[in-house]
Amino acid sequence: MKSPSSREKRPAGQKQYYRRKKVCKFCVERIDSINYKDVKLLSQFVPERAKIMPRRISGVCSQHQRQLNDAIKKARNIALLPFTTE
Amino acid sequence: MRNYEIMFIVNPNAQDEEIDKINGQIETIITSGGGKIDKIEKMGKRRLAYEVDRQREGHYVLFVMSANGEIIKECERRLRVMDAVIKYITVRVDEEARRMDKIKNYRQKRAARRGSHASAAAGGQSTEEAMQ
Repeated sequence: MKSPSSREKRPAGQKQYYRRKKVCKFCVERIDSINYKDVKLLSQFVPERAKIMPRRISGVCSQHQRQLNDAIKKARNIALLPFTTE
Repeated sequence: MRNYEIMFIVNPNAQDEEIDKINGQIETIITSGGGKIDKIEKMGKRRLAYEVDRQREGHYVLFVMSANGEIIKECERRLRVMDAVIKYITVRVDEEARRMDKIKNYRQKRAARRGSHASAAAGGQSTEEAMQ
């Protein structure tokens, strides 16, 4: 039983990168409709510079990212979210 | 008839009566054109995300209704003309609602199917789910 346990006990110098698999927040929480009025939800996806967070960082799936995009843009239009930070 | 939402921002210096007056005007446009209002919501004073007409705050008002293009056109024209209204947006919501229904139906069907599989073990509960 040496070999399987040796995988857990890694030598100190050997770095191993574990990237946790990202999951889409909207799929997990079963949020079907992304409404432009829901500022609290949308603001999670607009970081400091008020840009829309890319999918590769947030882990949102493509369908929901598209809906999110539309919602954020509508919210910007009615001054619920900023276009830029001044 | 389609379902729309109109959201607009009224100047923060406007009094409550003024907002009510604007709401009344929009309401008459919609009802006289044959539309139906589902909801009028005054969302209160909110901070704007950016400056609009040199204002940093505004009273938000939301109308939810079923109407046609003519009515919407007239509403938007009126909102544009009003001095107190500094910004507005119209969103069509019926397509989104239909999509939601579809998803909901699909989920229910799936849940029912799963229920019937489990019924061999669990018993009569699944038939109730299937009926819904």
